[in-house]
Amino acid sequence: MTAFSRRAFTAAALASVLTACGGGTAAPPAATATPPPKPAAGSRPASGPAPVRLLIPAIGVDTPVMPLGLAADGTVQVPPVEADDRAGWYRHSPVPGRTGPSVLLGHVTVGRYGDGVFRHLGRLRPGDRIEARLENGTAAAFAVTAVRTVPKNDFPVDDVYGNVARPEVRLITCGGARTADGYADNVIVFAVQDGAGSPTSGER
Amino acid sequence: MRRTVLGLLALTGTAVLMGTGPAFADGATTPSPVPSAAEPTTHPEASDTPKPAAPAERSRPARPAPSAEPTRAPARDQVSVVPSGAPDTGVTTGSTGSGTGGTVIGAGAAAVLLVGGGTVFVVRRRASGA
Repeated sequence: MTAFSRRAFTAAALASVLTACGGGTAAPPAATATPPPKPAAGSRPASGPAPVRLLIPAIGVDTPVMPLGLAADGTVQVPPVEADDRAGWYRHSPVPGRTGPSVLLGHVTVGRYGDGVFRHLGRLRPGDRIEARLENGTAAAFAVTAVRTVPKNDFPVDDVYGNVARPEVRLITCGGARTADGYADNVIVFAVQDGAGSPTSGER
Repeated sequence: MRRTVLGLLALTGTAVLMGTGPAFADGATTPSPVPSAAEPTTHPEASDTPKPAAPAERSRPARPAPSAEPTRAPARDQVSVVPSGAPDTGVTTGSTGSGTGGTVIGAGAAAVLLVGGGTVFVVRRRASGA
């Protein structure tokens, strides 16, 4: 091998090694690349004090609650992917305890951080208790009426966000088949405030 | 000799292309666990999608999909703005490690170059009787 060919070989090998090193940095970790959702100015709902904590004793959930809005693509925001996972309240839904479906969301898993705050949401059964504590110190208690697992491409928008005549909550996370890109389904828990009337159409 | 150099250059080009390709693909396909751009501040975007006429008058069959955060205050009761689609509330570990593909390919190409180059070197030395 001549001196020139040795130089060419060395350059080629060096280029390959550099390429290999660059591959690791080209794609930043998905968990840290996206900034957490920022509550917009004036995110405090006009309908009353926001929920600040959610308790689900049956699955050991006791989590802070953050307000969530809409993403630019029209989907609901979700809590940030971080080690200190927490639930979020969709602030265009009623405050828990008010008439209507109050929507709370949480992750089932948070990537490299492991389990999300709603990891075991699918284990809830009718009658299990849910308590939402509001920022004014009051609380609203609910009882689970139904737990549904639905395909993401057939999300029951009306059942989740549709009008109801009593205070209810919807707890939403992901579930079903797990792939490298995420989950195929959503797990939705329907609950009604203690002492409220008959179930609504979404609680099948 | 010339063939060796040209072959090495071709291998290098292949390695570079294989190493960088997945990085571009990652950037385009890696799902974002949390939607990024979110809320307009003071000036609502001119949206092609009509917003619901009144908070409590949402039409059930229709699925209005606001393109950005509405600026009006939430309704007292019911859901004032219905989000579109299903929430993405699960981030798997696999979706965070997509950058490793480029690393593996690049490292593999480097290893092939090193082994191949070493073999050529030895064979040539033996052929030349050195």
